[in-house]
Amino acid sequence: MAFISSGYNPDKPMEDRITDIGPRKYDEFYPPVIAKNKGTWLYHEYLQPGVFVHVAESGDEVYTVRCGGARLMSVTHIREICEIADKHCGGYLRFTTRNNIEFMVDGKDKVQPLIDDLESRKFDAGSFKFPIGGTGAGISNIVHTQGWLHCHTPATDASGPVKAVMDVLFDEFKNHRMPAHVRVSLACCLNMCGAVHCSDIAILGYHRKPPLLDHEYLDKMCEIPLAIASCPTAAIKPSKVELPDGKKVNSVAINNDRCMFCGNCYTMCPSLPLADTEGDGIVLMAGGKVSNRVSAPKFSKVVVAFIPNEAPRWPTTCDVIQKMVEVYAGEARKYERLGEWAERIGWERFFEKCELEFTHHLIDDFRDPAYYTWRQTSQFKF
Amino acid sequence: MKHEIPMLDQLESGPWPSFVSDLKQEAERRAKNPDNIEYQIPVDVVEDILGVLELSFKHGRTHWKHGGIVGVFGYGGGVIGRYCDQPEMFPGVAHFHTMRIAQPGGKFYTTEHLRRITDLWDFRGSGITNMHGSTGDIIFLGTTTKQLEEIFYELTHNIGQDLGGSGSNLRTPADCIGQARCEYACYDTQDLCYDLTMEYQDELHRPAFPYKFKFKFDGCPNGCVASIARADMSFIGTWKDDIKIDQEAVQAYIGGEFVPNAGAHSGRDWGAFDIQKEVIDLCPTECMWMDGKELKIDNRECTRCMHCINVMPRALRIGDERGLSIFAGAKAPILDGAQLGSLIVPFIKAEAPYTEIKENVIEPIWDWWMEEGKNRERLGELMKRQGLQKLLEMANFEPDPRMVQEPRTNPYIFWKEEEVEGGWERDINEFRKHHQR
Amino acid sequence: MEYEEAKQLIVDGLTKKQKVKSKFYFNDLAKIIDMKPREAKKLINQLVQEGVLEYWSSGSTSMYGLKGTGKQAHAEHED
Repeated sequence: MAFISSGYNPDKPMEDRITDIGPRKYDEFYPPVIAKNKGTWLYHEYLQPGVFVHVAESGDEVYTVRCGGARLMSVTHIREICEIADKHCGGYLRFTTRNNIEFMVDGKDKVQPLIDDLESRKFDAGSFKFPIGGTGAGISNIVHTQGWLHCHTPATDASGPVKAVMDVLFDEFKNHRMPAHVRVSLACCLNMCGAVHCSDIAILGYHRKPPLLDHEYLDKMCEIPLAIASCPTAAIKPSKVELPDGKKVNSVAINNDRCMFCGNCYTMCPSLPLADTEGDGIVLMAGGKVSNRVSAPKFSKVVVAFIPNEAPRWPTTCDVIQKMVEVYAGEARKYERLGEWAERIGWERFFEKCELEFTHHLIDDFRDPAYYTWRQTSQFKF
Repeated sequence: MKHEIPMLDQLESGPWPSFVSDLKQEAERRAKNPDNIEYQIPVDVVEDILGVLELSFKHGRTHWKHGGIVGVFGYGGGVIGRYCDQPEMFPGVAHFHTMRIAQPGGKFYTTEHLRRITDLWDFRGSGITNMHGSTGDIIFLGTTTKQLEEIFYELTHNIGQDLGGSGSNLRTPADCIGQARCEYACYDTQDLCYDLTMEYQDELHRPAFPYKFKFKFDGCPNGCVASIARADMSFIGTWKDDIKIDQEAVQAYIGGEFVPNAGAHSGRDWGAFDIQKEVIDLCPTECMWMDGKELKIDNRECTRCMHCINVMPRALRIGDERGLSIFAGAKAPILDGAQLGSLIVPFIKAEAPYTEIKENVIEPIWDWWMEEGKNRERLGELMKRQGLQKLLEMANFEPDPRMVQEPRTNPYIFWKEEEVEGGWERDINEFRKHHQR
Repeated sequence: MEYEEAKQLIVDGLTKKQKVKSKFYFNDLAKIIDMKPREAKKLINQLVQEGVLEYWSSGSTSMYGLKGTGKQAHAEHED
């Protein structure tokens, strides 16, 4: 492994430096049919789940085949995507906001060969490389964060639970039989670097124990004022601690009752780790949406306060989600989103129908917004 | 394989694409190295990723630590420092930093560009990516400190491509597919996104904000990039005039020649299309009706929720007087609870060079937030702390009933002295002439 | 304000606080040179460019410090 220089000179970092050039401009990468018809599309139609056509004023058509992707992707896999795009799509492709891959062709005759090719490709162990679906009134791909694969504050994994849940929801990914689309999202801690708080179903990692205190090393590794300032609830204060050997050191004390388990102090100070096998797990939320269609955008609500991390396949999490999806699919009206359905029947009915236990954890007690979630009417259901 | 991974092995079964299978194929390819690549970070890096992830599955705990110093010279964002807390067991990933690479608009790629990016990352990094990260960037997952500048140099010199944002910066803006392939788009999301990204490169790379700041661009109220839920400033396309109706196409839907909702409900028998039940009765403002064979819309009452257009895309089209609405202050829950974006500009034209959007909206709001925002306070939290009125005042916007769901329910108005006739300074002796002590 | 004057103020200001902490928010620096944030930005960027200041990032938030100071470099094995 010999070091090969790019041309960068570490002694003169500013020499020949190029900065602030941004991304490449979008229109360099448009397929010809897109470049030609941009802004003049008339309508679209789904031919089957995952396959749709857009028709332009010119009469031109673009056919899109959408495939699910694990957003965690190797360069080998990306090269395979490129190979497919070269073979069928003139060397163009795109990704969607929800980690799907879209292959576009400009004629109907090119669609079936593309579908056949995509469906024939499997990993050695048997899973599909490019399952087709994720459109219309079905369940699209899960947007998610890094989890145990790369993050320092996760309370659960991301790629693992996503794979497990998508295996369970796979038929719905490939189908159009939901009342409306169902958006599932996962964030592996409450900081939500992937904002999941307006999803039909949100899987959220949550810690339940305050950080550990590595007193012996804390003052050596960390700047105490910065650790204190990092806490959003001001739960950390400076303290002097006597170690078992009688030595006195500077450290911090944590007001455990104020800790909201965010991990910000661990980001600032590696002597305050908070990951814990029993403490960490999953919160399930439901009923959010971002579109303005029919009803206004709304937040997801907590429907299960805690499910332990059950690696490698998170069976309880999968079961609860599957049950919610089944009940929703069976009971909601056409076009009704999960949250709209829950509001129409009442959340008390939602818990009953989905066979979920209602515990005190589900009643909001966090700051101002809490009051607005309590019931101030005599209208409720028995 | 260097490590036994019995738990991860169980994630190879099932139909959904297995990231474990993908990581394994990458590990094998690196080990064989058929293309004779002079790998710049350990060859067995992917085996160590699998190993450390298996250990996390076993422990139920992460094995990563954060690092804040690493980056490329002169930029305060785009690189996130990562270190493994078991470096002896997994030396390949001991130093394993993330890089954020600015994605092109609409996430369109040529294979030529994508291959150049993957070749670079294969050579100088782990070969593992996210396509894409939550904010929108391409994520390069794991390389050593020494490679950061090398990668940046090659990106900028050979691929014409920059890093994205992280930290207290403008984050990499992201857009929906927009007019490129969607008939609902009310403005060119990709052009506005690109224009603002280029205009504010300095804000994107050199942190001077109190906290992160996100722009997201949705072409219509369907909101496919979720801007109203996650962007400090959310741009949502809209129109002011009438929905365009093709009455013949309406009849084609009623007659069953066209499938409703573009065929999105094809997997189940919902019965024959019923325009009354499926469109007119679901209209939130009840502004539609059938007049014989004609569909009528009282457009003045329409709130552009998109439902009727979504159900009958061949019969109904967005209006022609197009622009966008701007919402401010969305954020995830931490700290004071989640916030959706609040309407601050009901309608503005979106035409290049977008001067009005930049000079009359973005920059005055940034000035206010940069001066008044506390450390780590998102715009939405400042709006809650100082009030929507304050934002309007700082940006010189006229108050508009469209900005609220309802007027206030308390009368505790903090009148300003200049608003009250005669001011607050009064002569007590003058008062006492008419009122005894 | 001239660059040299701003540099002196910031170096002195941060050096004084070294015993307590080594990382500062952008607005702390703007206050030291008594400038509005958007005006201070140019000068502070130049200090980074010339290697007087360096960034520290939590991923979500950014801070500034005198180059090479603080305990983070050691904790992060980047010294």
